[in-house]
Amino acid sequence: MAASISAPRKIWQTLGAIKTGVILLILVVILSAAGTVILQRPATDADEMQRAYSPQILRLLDGLGLTDVFHAWWFVLLLSLVSFSIIAASVQRFRNSWRFYARPYKSPDEAFRKATLSHAVIPVRDEETGLNAAEKVFQKAGFGPERIVRDQSFSLFGERNRLSEMAVYIVHASLLLIFLGGIIDALYGWRAFVTLTRGEQSNQVEPQKGIKRTLPFAIRCDGAGQENYADGTPKRWWSDLSVVKDGQVVLRKQIVVNDPLVYGGIRFYQASYGGTGKLDKLVLTARPRDGQPPKEVTLGLREAAPLDSDTTVRLADFIPDFVVRDGQVYARSNNLENPAAHLVLESRKSGETVNVWLPPIEGLDQNASSPYAFEGKDVQMAYFTGLEVSHEPGQWAVWAGVLLMGLGLALVFYFVHARVWAVPVRHDAGHVTLWIGGTANKNRDAFEQRFQKLVEQIESELKISVKAGANAPAVVLAEK
Amino acid sequence: MARVARAELQPAASGATLVVMTGLGVAFLLFMAFLNVVKSGNLLNDSNLLYAALIFYCGAGTLYLGFGITGTPSYIRFASFATWAGLLANTGAVARRWYEAGHPPFASIYEMLLMFVWTLAVLTLVAEKKYGVKVIGTVTMPVAIVGVVLMQLLRTEVRPLVPALQSTWLHVHVTLAMLAYAACALSFALAMMFLIRDKMKTETFLAATSVFVVATYVGVLSRFEKWGGLSVAAWDPEQKSEVFLSKGVRLFVVIPDLGWLLLLVLAAVAAPLVFYLVWRKTQDEGWLDIANRAVFLSILLQILAVLFFVVRARDGSYASLDAEGLFPTALAASPFILSGLVGGIFVSLLYLLLLWRRNDLERMLPSADELDRITYKTIAIAFPLLTLMIAAGAYWANRTWGSYWSWDPKETWAAITWLVYAGYLHMRITRGWRGRRAAYFAILGFAVVMFTFFGVTYLLPGMHAYA
Repeated sequence: MAASISAPRKIWQTLGAIKTGVILLILVVILSAAGTVILQRPATDADEMQRAYSPQILRLLDGLGLTDVFHAWWFVLLLSLVSFSIIAASVQRFRNSWRFYARPYKSPDEAFRKATLSHAVIPVRDEETGLNAAEKVFQKAGFGPERIVRDQSFSLFGERNRLSEMAVYIVHASLLLIFLGGIIDALYGWRAFVTLTRGEQSNQVEPQKGIKRTLPFAIRCDGAGQENYADGTPKRWWSDLSVVKDGQVVLRKQIVVNDPLVYGGIRFYQASYGGTGKLDKLVLTARPRDGQPPKEVTLGLREAAPLDSDTTVRLADFIPDFVVRDGQVYARSNNLENPAAHLVLESRKSGETVNVWLPPIEGLDQNASSPYAFEGKDVQMAYFTGLEVSHEPGQWAVWAGVLLMGLGLALVFYFVHARVWAVPVRHDAGHVTLWIGGTANKNRDAFEQRFQKLVEQIESELKISVKAGANAPAVVLAEK
Repeated sequence: MARVARAELQPAASGATLVVMTGLGVAFLLFMAFLNVVKSGNLLNDSNLLYAALIFYCGAGTLYLGFGITGTPSYIRFASFATWAGLLANTGAVARRWYEAGHPPFASIYEMLLMFVWTLAVLTLVAEKKYGVKVIGTVTMPVAIVGVVLMQLLRTEVRPLVPALQSTWLHVHVTLAMLAYAACALSFALAMMFLIRDKMKTETFLAATSVFVVATYVGVLSRFEKWGGLSVAAWDPEQKSEVFLSKGVRLFVVIPDLGWLLLLVLAAVAAPLVFYLVWRKTQDEGWLDIANRAVFLSILLQILAVLFFVVRARDGSYASLDAEGLFPTALAASPFILSGLVGGIFVSLLYLLLLWRRNDLERMLPSADELDRITYKTIAIAFPLLTLMIAAGAYWANRTWGSYWSWDPKETWAAITWLVYAGYLHMRITRGWRGRRAAYFAILGFAVVMFTFFGVTYLLPGMHAYA
C-alpha cells in the first residue's frame, strides 16, 4: 500500500511531520546564530570587513552569502519552508481537531464511561433527582450544562473553554500572519533617509542603495533642535515638520525620537541632528561714526541690507572657525569656535567698497575707513535634522499577528478545555446510580482536584451522608 | 571505595551551629554597614539597601546550602526568612532607584540586574511556598548573590536617559524580559532538581559540572596573552567606563603572570573530568574517588584564582599591546571573568553538596513527576512572557528606528531563545517528551537565555548598547 502514495502527497506529509519542523527550526537557529557571529554587510562598512577577515575568507563568506545571512536567498527559502511546514502540519491535524471541536461528544457510552480518567458513581433515588443536582452544580461552576436526550437515554453535558482546543491553530495562524507582514515589507517596503535644514523642503528621499525615491508630497522642516541635560548629554531631539501637498500644508507635527510623523503610510523618524557648519543668521550692531543712534541688522550669508540712504552692507563670507596664514583666511573646522565675518560696505553714490572684518584681521580689513563700527551680537548656525523615512505596508499584519499570538498563547497555556458529563444508569436490580465524569485537555492534576470538589457538591446537593468506614463507600473515585 | 571517601570528606554536621553562625555573620555585617551609614548620614540610598539585600541573600544562600548539607529542616525556615528580608531590602533599593532616576529602573544593565535579582527572589519564595520545592534556594540564591556582586562592580550612578530610551515601551519590554528570564532561571533550577530526583547518577553530575567549569576557564583563558599574561579591558576611573580606542573597540591591558595561574587552575578543574573518563574506561571505582578528591582540590585552587584575580585586577595600571604607556583597570571592567570564576566555585560546591548529601536532598524534594510538571508550568509562564517581550521590543524599535525587526544580534538571539522553548513545547505536547529529555531541553533553554542576556551584550556587536 505504501507504494501507492504519490510523490506530492509524500512531500506534503513530510512537510507536516514534526521531525521536519524540528529539523527546520534547528537550521534556522544555527544559521541565524552564524549571522550574529559573522559581521554582516550592510551594517558593517567595507573597510571594517576587510580589517576583520583575510581576503580569501571574506571572498568565501561573501560567496556563501554568510556576510548577509538574513537576506540570503537560502535563508529566505528556509523561512518559506518553515512557513509551509507550519501550514502542512496545521492542515493535516486540523480535520481531527475540528471534528472534535465542532461536534462535541455529548452523551458518553459505556466504553467511554469506563475509560474516562476522572469519574465517580453516586447512588441516587431516580434519574431526575440526580440530573437536577448535577445540573445545578455544573451551572454554578460555569460549565453551562445542557440536557442531551437520545432514543434510549438522557444525560447532562457541560464544558468550558472549548476554544482552547483550537488555540494551537490560532498560534500557528498568527505566526504565518507575522511572516506575511514580513514578506510584504520585504517586497514592497523601503527605508530611506532625508536631511533638511530649517525652512528647507524636499520630496526626494535617499535609500541606502539605489536611486532616489520621489514622494507624492514634500516634507518641510520648520525648525529643529536639541535639549540637553545639565551634564551636557542630549535629552531630546525634535523637529517641527510639515507635510506639503500641492502647495498646501496638510499636516504639521513636532516629532521626537520615539514619536514619528506618519502620513500616507510613510513614517518620518528623528534619526540625527547636527550642525551644517553653515551660517543661518548673523545679528550685528552697526554704530555710525557720526554719532547717530546704532542700528541692528540681521544678515544671512551673501545677503545685503541698507544701513542708510547711501550705504548697504553685505555679508560676503562667514567662517565659523578661522585661522590666518600667509595673509589668507582659512577655515579650520565647521564648528562655531572662532568665527570671522567678512562684510562689504558699498556706497551707492561713489560705488566705493570697504572690506570690514569682524574681528579685524591685519592686512585685510579696512575697518578704520568704514563709516560704521560693527559689533557682533548673535550668531545662529544652521542645523540639519536627519530623518529616517520608512514605508512598511506589512506592519499591520505583523501587529495583528502579535495580538493574535498573545490571544492564542493565553488560550494554549491558561485556558483549559474541561468537559463534564452526568449520566444516570439504571441497573438490572432496579436501583439507579449517577455516573459523573470529567476530562481536561491539560493541567489534569488541578482538574482532578476540581472534579472531586464538584462531586462533593453534587453529593451534598443530594444530601447523601457518607459514613466513614461504614459499609462500602458510596463514592467511588476511580483513576485509571 | 567511594563510600569511605564520602565519609572522610563529610563535614561534621551540627544542628543549630550554622543558623547561629549565619545569624551572627549577618548581624555583624549589618552592624558594620550601619556604622558606615551613620558616618555618611544617608541611610536609605540604593547602594546601602542593596548591600543589606546582599547580606541577607548571602545568609539565605548559606542556610539553603546548610540545609542541603545537614538536612536540618529548621534551616529552611530561617533561610526563607532571610530571603524575605533580602527581598524587602531589594524592593527598597528598586523603589529608591526609581524615585531617584524618575523612571523605572530598566535603563542600564545595572538596573536590569537589580530587577532580575528581585524577580528571582520573588519566584524562589513562590516556588518554595506554593509548590513546596524547598531547596530551590540552593541554586537560585547563589545566582542572586552573583547578580548583586556584579551590580556592586557596575556603574551605579543614575544616568540621564538618552532620547531613544525615553519610552513607555522600553519599560514594558524590559519588565517582560526580566520576568521571562527569571522564570527561565527557575525552570532551569527545577530541571536540575528533577535530574537529582530522577536518580541521575552522581557521576554524571560530576562530568557535567566539570565540563561547565572547564568551559568557563577555557573561555576566560581565551584572553591568554604571550608570556603568561591575561588581557582585561582597561577602565577609566574618572569616566567610570571602559576605555575605547575607537567606536566599539575596547582597549585591553595585560596583567602579567595571571594567565599562568589560571592555566594551572584549568588543569586542576580538568583533572576530575580526566579521572572520570578513566573511570568510564576502566570501571575502577578508585578513579571516581580520586576524581571527587580532585573536585575538592580544584575548589581550593579556584578560590585562589579568584583571590589573585581580585587582587591584581581591582586596581593598578598595566601595559597594553595596542597602545603605549600604562593604563588602569578595575574589577568593573571584567564583570564576566569575575562572575565566571565565582560561578565555577558555586557549581563545584553544588556538586560536592550533591555528592555528600544526595539522600537528604532527594528526601526533601517533591516527586520527580511533580518537579517535571512544575518545570513545564514555569516554561508555560516564561514562553508567553518571552513572546510579549519580543513583541514589545519590536514595537519600540518600530517607533524609534522605523523598523520592527532588523536582525540585530540581540533580536536574533531573543528569537533563537524563543525557538528553543518553542521546540521544547512541541516535543512535550506532540511527542510527549517528559522527564530527562524535557529537563535537558529546559537546561539548554536557560543556557541560551544567559547567552542572550550577557553574551550578546559583551561579545557581539549591535544596537542594544545600553543593555
